[in-house]
Amino acid sequence: MMAPQRPAAGATVNAATVVDLGIQACEAYDRPDLATRLKVAKRRLADPVVHVVVVGEFKQGKSSLVNAVVGGTICPVDDDVATALPTYVRHGPEPTAALIYDEDPPRREPIAVEDVRKWVVEHSPLVDPAQRPSGVEVRVPRKLLSAGLVLVDTPGVGGLGSAHAAASLAAAAMADALIFVTDTAQELTRSEVQFLRQAGELCDTAVCVLTKTDLYPYWRKIRDLDVGHLRREGIDIPVIPVSSALRSRAIATNDTALNAESGYPELVKFLTERVSGGVSGRLASEAAAEVAAVCTQLEAQFEAERAAQADPASARQVVDHLSEVKQRVEALKAAAARWNVTLNDGIADLNADVDHDLRRRIRTVTQEADQAIEETDPADTWSEMTSWLESRVAHELLANYTFLKDRATLLSEEVAEHFREASGEVLDHIAVPNPTPMLAKAQVDHKIELAKMKIGKQAMVALKSAYGGAIMFVMLGAMTGITLGPIGLGIGLVMGRKGLRDEKKRQRTARQNQAKNAVRRYCDEVSFVMGKHSRDTLRRIQRQLRDHYTALAEELNRSNAEALQSATEALRRTQAEREQRIRDLDAELTRLRTLRKQAMAVAR
Amino acid sequence: MSVPAAPGAGDGARPSPLLTRTRHALARATEVYRGTEAGERLVELAQRLDEPLRVAIAGRIKAGKSTLLNALVGEQLAPTDAGECTRIVTWYRDGHTYRVTARLPDGDSRQLKFQREDKAIEIDLGGLTPEQVSELEVTWPSQALRTATLIDTPGIGSLSEQVARRTWDLLAAEDEETPADAVLYLMRHLHAADMDFLRAFHDTEVSQPNPVNAIGVLSRADEIGVCRLDAMASARRIANRMATDPNVRRVVQTVVPVAGLLAETAATLTETEVAQLRKVAALPVREADSLLLSADRFLNLMPELGLTSLERESLLQRFGLFGVRLASTLLRREVASTATELAAQLTERSGIGELREVLRSLFFQRREVLKSRSALLALDALTRTQPRPGSDAVAAEVEEIISSAHPFRELRVLSALRAGWVTGKPEVLADLERLIGGSGSDLHQRLELPPDADRAALTAAASEALARWQRRAQNPMTSHELSVAAQVAVRSCEGMLAELVNHR
Repeated sequence: MMAPQRPAAGATVNAATVVDLGIQACEAYDRPDLATRLKVAKRRLADPVVHVVVVGEFKQGKSSLVNAVVGGTICPVDDDVATALPTYVRHGPEPTAALIYDEDPPRREPIAVEDVRKWVVEHSPLVDPAQRPSGVEVRVPRKLLSAGLVLVDTPGVGGLGSAHAAASLAAAAMADALIFVTDTAQELTRSEVQFLRQAGELCDTAVCVLTKTDLYPYWRKIRDLDVGHLRREGIDIPVIPVSSALRSRAIATNDTALNAESGYPELVKFLTERVSGGVSGRLASEAAAEVAAVCTQLEAQFEAERAAQADPASARQVVDHLSEVKQRVEALKAAAARWNVTLNDGIADLNADVDHDLRRRIRTVTQEADQAIEETDPADTWSEMTSWLESRVAHELLANYTFLKDRATLLSEEVAEHFREASGEVLDHIAVPNPTPMLAKAQVDHKIELAKMKIGKQAMVALKSAYGGAIMFVMLGAMTGITLGPIGLGIGLVMGRKGLRDEKKRQRTARQNQAKNAVRRYCDEVSFVMGKHSRDTLRRIQRQLRDHYTALAEELNRSNAEALQSATEALRRTQAEREQRIRDLDAELTRLRTLRKQAMAVAR
Repeated sequence: MSVPAAPGAGDGARPSPLLTRTRHALARATEVYRGTEAGERLVELAQRLDEPLRVAIAGRIKAGKSTLLNALVGEQLAPTDAGECTRIVTWYRDGHTYRVTARLPDGDSRQLKFQREDKAIEIDLGGLTPEQVSELEVTWPSQALRTATLIDTPGIGSLSEQVARRTWDLLAAEDEETPADAVLYLMRHLHAADMDFLRAFHDTEVSQPNPVNAIGVLSRADEIGVCRLDAMASARRIANRMATDPNVRRVVQTVVPVAGLLAETAATLTETEVAQLRKVAALPVREADSLLLSADRFLNLMPELGLTSLERESLLQRFGLFGVRLASTLLRREVASTATELAAQLTERSGIGELREVLRSLFFQRREVLKSRSALLALDALTRTQPRPGSDAVAAEVEEIISSAHPFRELRVLSALRAGWVTGKPEVLADLERLIGGSGSDLHQRLELPPDADRAALTAAASEALARWQRRAQNPMTSHELSVAAQVAVRSCEGMLAELVNHR
């Protein structure tokens, strides 16, 4: 749902207007529960969070890029040491910084802005591996960020298939947009192209930024080569060449021409229009859809009452219907409701499947590792082996995590579908006695479309809060390394000819066994940590979905109860009172219908 | 060189015992394999012992391999370009005539036409595609190529699988002799792929993962510090840190920063170029800064400067932005005024001199050990893969040399040290590493004395080291590994003393 160019800002304003009108209506009709739901939507609309992950090989100028985008020295830049912790740069009224610890909910520990460097750079002596923060958050007062943009500076990818690459991919999967950074010193390498291809599958909005154009006279040629490589690989993303040095100078001297020369205006435009605009467009649609859904409920309530008022003869029938519906709605809340069963069974199945998937994957890795160890001498190949193992495991974890994400989304859709079937029936039932159906066919279609749009979203909300984009970096950092322990001295340094061969063979076997055990220990640890993580995530998803639909059932119950009460009252009214009430109801319905039409227009 | 070479290092005139033993093993193998396919290869191996050391220049794509090759030769030979350029492994050898030969996969070779106008050699493949050529050989009369045959390789990490494969085949060939004796590994920053490559290059038979035949070069060093004037100082700091990283020490002897483009240009600097740079140097500092802020600005701003756009483009191509900044600053500050002076300044600042010195002390001083090593490895592989009546004896002789020759023992202890298998006090280990030639094979390097130390000082230091290590070798408190290593150190000290006496 990508809003084209400009209308994004307009959509947000329009959405805010309809949400406000919706809240007013809910309060006027004394429905604080519905008002609360819209207020949540309003808050989300006012404070959108748009994660833009900046990834690339190390020393390509990622931190410089973040600094140049926001203008200022926020991420530490150094010729040698590279970024080691993800840094979240977001808007704040004044510059502040905090360490983020991966707890539930995430814990923030304020630090001085000057100290950011100490925490972020590699080899930082301050970072005790056991209590490593999962990231650093820096807030700065910048207009560009005020629309909710969060720039995430990540550690470098560090080569094809490395563990870090998997972490970057996981971050990309959770992000709203991806900035891939590569410098113009050379064309894209194979590992970079491969990374981009994978990342493209996981994140919809991506851009490839070519840095350091100030240093290389032939950057245009490199750009053309890169564009060619991307086209050949079928990767369709924009390529923007920039110079951070020129941008910094331009900001320092307030030189507009130089700023244009730096190439950054185009990147900023991409961020505000495509990324920020895209996300706020989506949020606007979602908020408006909430309003439309609220209107539908209120309308149904009033329509039922109107039917009862208009035709006293059928009022009894309406009341009967509503009583029947009441049971259904109550069933919707009960533990035995189909959606609830789907959810509980689904989570249980998912837990088992995800766990099995993880075990299967780790088992394959262990077998491969054993085989590899059989064929070589760990004394020669151990450090290769560890980096291979780490990256292999990281990629399997990523695959396992993607599996979890896809299945959880599917489950969320299924639960939504079951809930919608049951509740849709409820709403339809209320409308039945009405001789002239008020809902035009086209509007019914819209209702379904809107419902579809929200499907699966709940799971993603839970997932995003659980993983926060860059959690894989932490997972990898937190896991104890693969240690072989002390190994026997390689070979007898001055042994005779015969002894040399035999001794070598004996020691080799001992080392192989040692290595296999180390691999097992590591894999056990990984399974344990990841298993715990998946279970927690699934629990969070379950809670999120349950709370969401329980609240929805509660709302429906309330709507229905109100309708029932009004319909029952209608039976006791005089003709004159009824006519008056019908006029009022028609007026309310017209208002609601107008509001809904407005909301639909925004949502589209 | 007044100071005699260390034991085993050899100095050409007097063949080292190791080389003699290796020749003997080769001769025996030639007898055994006479008339077989391998026979021809053995003749080549024997010839190889008399040829210059073969040094391959390897690294990821665009690391600046061809540029460094040109800088080392001091001529623009290998073609360089902004995009991926070297696609065929190319050998540069010294010879009497100028000649380019293509070797084809079927073993044939074909002479190629080439031309060279003031720039790199342009080779006409004569209808062949790069895929059809397995190697190119350029014979070129050159002083620099007389000490080492240089091999330019396609980059690792190329988008073209086949191109990258060729470099692997050359340096990490399995079951065959490695065509190169030593490798200069260029890296811009250490990547995981670099480590994989370096490990694959090291054999596992003669010694465990062995840094003895590899030197790391932090290439395009000027760009690491984003072309600031102090970029080389920053690069040197990084190189020093990398050289002390245990993971790096395992695979390369040391890491040297080099700004290859600067070195290449300095070697071939012309007065015309200096005159052009003077125009930039004549600008007020502020204006020059603004002009040199980016490559694009240098190309397009200030038309009144009196440089055509072609001239500017060629300056950038030859010097890079860092080179133009540095050279114009040097001219402005009158540190240099003529082409000769400027060339000397740029050469010094490019780090190429340091690299030459490191090459000399770590590769060329040890060339006989490295060459013997290549030959013995090839023999070992041959006897294992193609056994024949009598090949057992050859294998035994090879293994005898490998396990007993003192230079190899030194290498084994060195690699065990680098791999962290020998433990002890850091200063003791550093002493040990120096004594067995870890930082260079010259006596003064082994004994940690200044290069101009006289014979008396060297003798005194060697005797002292001998006593020290004899004590350590016999001390019951010394760990087993260290005491074994100490025996090797003792033998090294004895060798040094013997050399000092022989040269009296």
